Amino acid sequence: MADESLIGKDLGTMTFPVDRSKVREFARSLGDRDPIYTDVEVARAAGFTNIPAPPTFVVSSAHWREEDNMIESLELDLRRVLHGEAGWEYFAPIVVGDELTATRRVSDVVKRDGKRGGTMTMVSIQTEYTNQRGELAVRHTDVIVETGG
Amino acid sequence: MSASTALPVEPLTLAVGDEMTTSEFGPMTRSHFVRYAGAGGDFNPIHHDEGFATSAGMPTVFGMGLLHGGLLGQRLAQWVGPAHVRAYRIRFTGQVWPDDVLTFTGRVENIREEGGEKLADLSLAVIRQTGDPAIKATAVARVG
Repeated sequence: MADESLIGKDLGTMTFPVDRSKVREFARSLGDRDPIYTDVEVARAAGFTNIPAPPTFVVSSAHWREEDNMIESLELDLRRVLHGEAGWEYFAPIVVGDELTATRRVSDVVKRDGKRGGTMTMVSIQTEYTNQRGELAVRHTDVIVETGG
Repeated sequence: MSASTALPVEPLTLAVGDEMTTSEFGPMTRSHFVRYAGAGGDFNPIHHDEGFATSAGMPTVFGMGLLHGGLLGQRLAQWVGPAHVRAYRIRFTGQVWPDDVLTFTGRVENIREEGGEKLADLSLAVIRQTGDPAIKATAVARVG
């Protein structure tokens, strides 16, 4: 059962490229055809050094993750797990050509009484994305909820 | 004529109560889910495999939360400019199903100064055609 002892648990580090095709595909999958996501000249005219990544783009790092058993390693019951929240804090632009290193850890565990009995557990997973210059670009926090069982 | 972005380049001047232009997306199709699975890398079969979804007790497949969260994120960037989004946080409040039509809203709740910058606190939402919110969100944007 997940508890406070998990806070700080290291969930691994991986590196992946921000590539032009993936940025285009990501923006298009979200119905966005603005040329800033496909045309480097348009992006430069808007003040970026290259084509910018859309706000939620870092989630596509999932393609570079090995099959993992994160939910099980957190001692959560997959049948009762929901994605409760997601958040991003932006510190530096992410653009095509960047190499991002993602470092993931458990940042919080909170328990409270569930609405339908049992104990609800909320586990926050924080992933920091650092670029090839060592600058923190984005901090992404997911809140995973295990409903009362 | 060369292409140009429709997105704001300079920080916007915003005031409390100002609203994002409301927009719609949909009807949602299974193709939207599959396309986002390929783009984002979420291959949980509950979002694309009808047999798996129904055997898990769902009426059919449903959209990933990060799909409509991403749709709202694009609209946030269109509103305030992609260089000026400082934070974006979404809370999932309901599922999105095939044939849903989604409405995206946003509003300025507060304007403040921090570290010599002017920041706007925004509230945003993704609302289904039933009136139920699928996402309630907040964001922080640099403004002029």
